Amino acid sequence: MSAEAFAIADTCFLIDWASWRQRDLLFKLFKTVFVPESVIKEIRSERTVEWIASSLASGSLSLFTETPDILSFARDLVERSKLFPIRGIDLPEAICLAAGRMRNYTVITENRGALMAADILEELSGVRVWRSLELITEGLRRELIRGDPLKVLEEYERDTGHRFPRRDLEVVLRELRGED
Amino acid sequence: MSSIEEWEGLEEEAREIRRKEADWDFIESQPPRLRAALKFYVETGDLYVASRIADMSIEEFNDLRKRARIPNVC
Repeated sequence: MSAEAFAIADTCFLIDWASWRQRDLLFKLFKTVFVPESVIKEIRSERTVEWIASSLASGSLSLFTETPDILSFARDLVERSKLFPIRGIDLPEAICLAAGRMRNYTVITENRGALMAADILEELSGVRVWRSLELITEGLRRELIRGDPLKVLEEYERDTGHRFPRRDLEVVLRELRGED
Repeated sequence: MSSIEEWEGLEEEAREIRRKEADWDFIESQPPRLRAALKFYVETGDLYVASRIADMSIEEFNDLRKRARIPNVC
């Protein structure tokens, strides 16, 4: 199975993403998206619980149970990340990064610490880490969702209280509009 | 790959956006634990740890973050 078939999402991403009106785009991009067990405990609102539960029932989401080797590697990553003078990672996102490395899953996160760790730690080289910006861009690129890219991305910001870094946004918009 | 200095710059930029856009009247009106958690979030952008400080689930804290108009910059 190709790496693109599976992804693993952390809590920060899923909670934001669940507020977006086009949230089912996620399931057009991946065969299934794994969610660590700890994520389920962090979900409380009826709307999000219903979405998670129905997605688990359909197989669009799958429960990811942490194994001892994943947990051990994740703890190593947490410690390694704290050696740098920038924001480190905590165990929940480290579990996703460890699964990304050991199972070849795409890691989906809105956690800046996870992005930095994947960029800086040698143990994570080659792990693909996507934010909502990359997911939406891929959806627009493959025409899985349609509309003016800026409007789609602004809609996401409004629905979720998210803010895309302006430079990243400009790069994406230029590419989607064929200006590169 | 970005350098650590570049990541530090991006972190500072995100912190400034959170500080600028936060509803400080709302934040200051919260009980001490929630106020401290919201201020921690403004400074770090770390939703998980902030939710632990607030003694809330991540989703509950994320709702509080939205009410405090603190953007999640990522």
